[in-house]
Amino acid sequence: MNNQMFAATQLNQKNQRTEKLVQLLFILMASLLILPVLVILATLVVKGGSILSIDFLFTDPTNGMTEGGIFPALLGTIWLVAVALIISVPLGIAAAIYLSEYAPDNWFTRLINLAIINLAGVPSIVHALFGLGAFVVFFGFGTSILSASLTLAIMTLPVVIVSTREALQAVPHSFREACWNMGATRWQTIRRVVLPNAVSGILTGIILEVSRTAGETAPIMFTGAVFFSPFLPQGIMDQTMAMSLHLFVVSTQVPGVPENLPYGVALVLIGMVLLMNSVSIAFRMHLRGKKKW
Amino acid sequence: MKSKLLIAAIIATSTLITLNAEARTLIQNKGSDTLVNVAQAWAEKYRDANPEVAVAVSGGGSGTGIAAMINGTVDIANASRKMKKKELKSAKKQGQNPVEHVVGYDALAVYLHSDNPAKSLTIAQLADIYGRKGKAKKWTDLGLNVPGCKGQKIIVVSRQNNSGTYVYFKKAVLGKKGKYRMGTLDMHGSKDVVDLVENTPCAIGYSGLAYATDHVKLACISSNGAACVSPSVATASDGSYPVARPLFMYTNGEPKGAIKGYLDWINSDIGQCIILNKGYAPIKKVSCK
Repeated sequence: MNNQMFAATQLNQKNQRTEKLVQLLFILMASLLILPVLVILATLVVKGGSILSIDFLFTDPTNGMTEGGIFPALLGTIWLVAVALIISVPLGIAAAIYLSEYAPDNWFTRLINLAIINLAGVPSIVHALFGLGAFVVFFGFGTSILSASLTLAIMTLPVVIVSTREALQAVPHSFREACWNMGATRWQTIRRVVLPNAVSGILTGIILEVSRTAGETAPIMFTGAVFFSPFLPQGIMDQTMAMSLHLFVVSTQVPGVPENLPYGVALVLIGMVLLMNSVSIAFRMHLRGKKKW
Repeated sequence: MKSKLLIAAIIATSTLITLNAEARTLIQNKGSDTLVNVAQAWAEKYRDANPEVAVAVSGGGSGTGIAAMINGTVDIANASRKMKKKELKSAKKQGQNPVEHVVGYDALAVYLHSDNPAKSLTIAQLADIYGRKGKAKKWTDLGLNVPGCKGQKIIVVSRQNNSGTYVYFKKAVLGKKGKYRMGTLDMHGSKDVVDLVENTPCAIGYSGLAYATDHVKLACISSNGAACVSPSVATASDGSYPVARPLFMYTNGEPKGAIKGYLDWINSDIGQCIILNKGYAPIKKVSCK
């Protein structure tokens, strides 16, 4: 009697079959996600791997950009990303701290949140035109690394703010309460308890920003990146070449480019982003290991 | 704390680098996609001739360069067409005084797929293909049968409308008041046109001669019933090719100082040999190695 009670009925069996089928379907869908990444990487390595060398990374392009390396573009991208980070990280983190720790729930806070969401939804080409109008022309910074990085910073600010705010809110509220009960001020609590516990989340946001900044073409095209410059940038008022624009240029604008050159540029760009992502993941795992909760 | 130190270090280094930078003059050069590769080659070679002057080159199209000249954000604007009266007017309004310099000539070649049997095309035929009122919609309308082209429908390849090439070709083929037909494929860049035609049997496109490859066919063009002329540097220089145009650089006022030095170098034998090597016609007879 008991045995019969737990024996699978027809309905049970049907449900189990469906369950297995559904699971299989989802596994398939999830593994499909890897496919584009693998295909892209494999294509780049097969078609562009042959051009990669230390020389390719560290020499100037020559002979009408059909030969030589990509050093000015590589250095330019580093400049653009670094300056954009210097601008957006302090601003973004400060804004997120205010929104998460201080802001009362009123119309003003809601307005700021709305602005952030909208800012994240603006297409990059619109940011580019804004940057051209505001920084290049109105503020008179000209086409320069400063203008381009300011544009990039504004574009990526929502990413930093949202991820920092989420990281701060992930810190349990009881931590703060315990701290306040000890007589600590809000700022002391934020500095000694909340921020140290939120570092890994904040870092994720920054790394996401770096990846996006390095790959963007539209916002820098009008504001600071050039088709070609025979000199390396020496300050933030200089113009510069950049990897993303260089990729566009060698694949569509310059005749007589050997086939492996654009693929090589793309490979270096994607390699840079993957490298930064994996460094941050490793760092985050290290920090997570130290977490007390 | 660490990140603050890092940021401070980066700022300090960049300031130091900026201060240590040797005094050099920067020339902003922007505009025509037709000229951009020559402009790049000039900038690359000028570094050896005069290391104190850096020329930064951007593309975007003649319209982009001219707009930047009007806004005063470039020193030299490249254009593959003349500035329009309206543009000159708005430049004056902004306190700019664009001065025109011819730096070379370009034969605008008509590109066909290598399987296309057409040997020569007349300007009238081109107007039939490209014009708003043109009658040729299929290759058979021109008495041709293009192998590999399904239905023989002509795929008309054109350029985006801020391109100087777009404006010049319209004027040369369709006349001053002519309009392109609807439904053309408008490509962003001279090279894109050639790449597309190379792989599309049905297509016809126009682009600078400098973008020619071994895998496309260049139509021999005849106008007013004369014998057809193939596009080449020689036929562009002597004016016998009907769709050749001057290439311009615009400066704000008569060029002075570093800009004058650069333009003089461009017009010298060295500069003109570079433009010749890129497949454009020089402004004067030069003998190059």
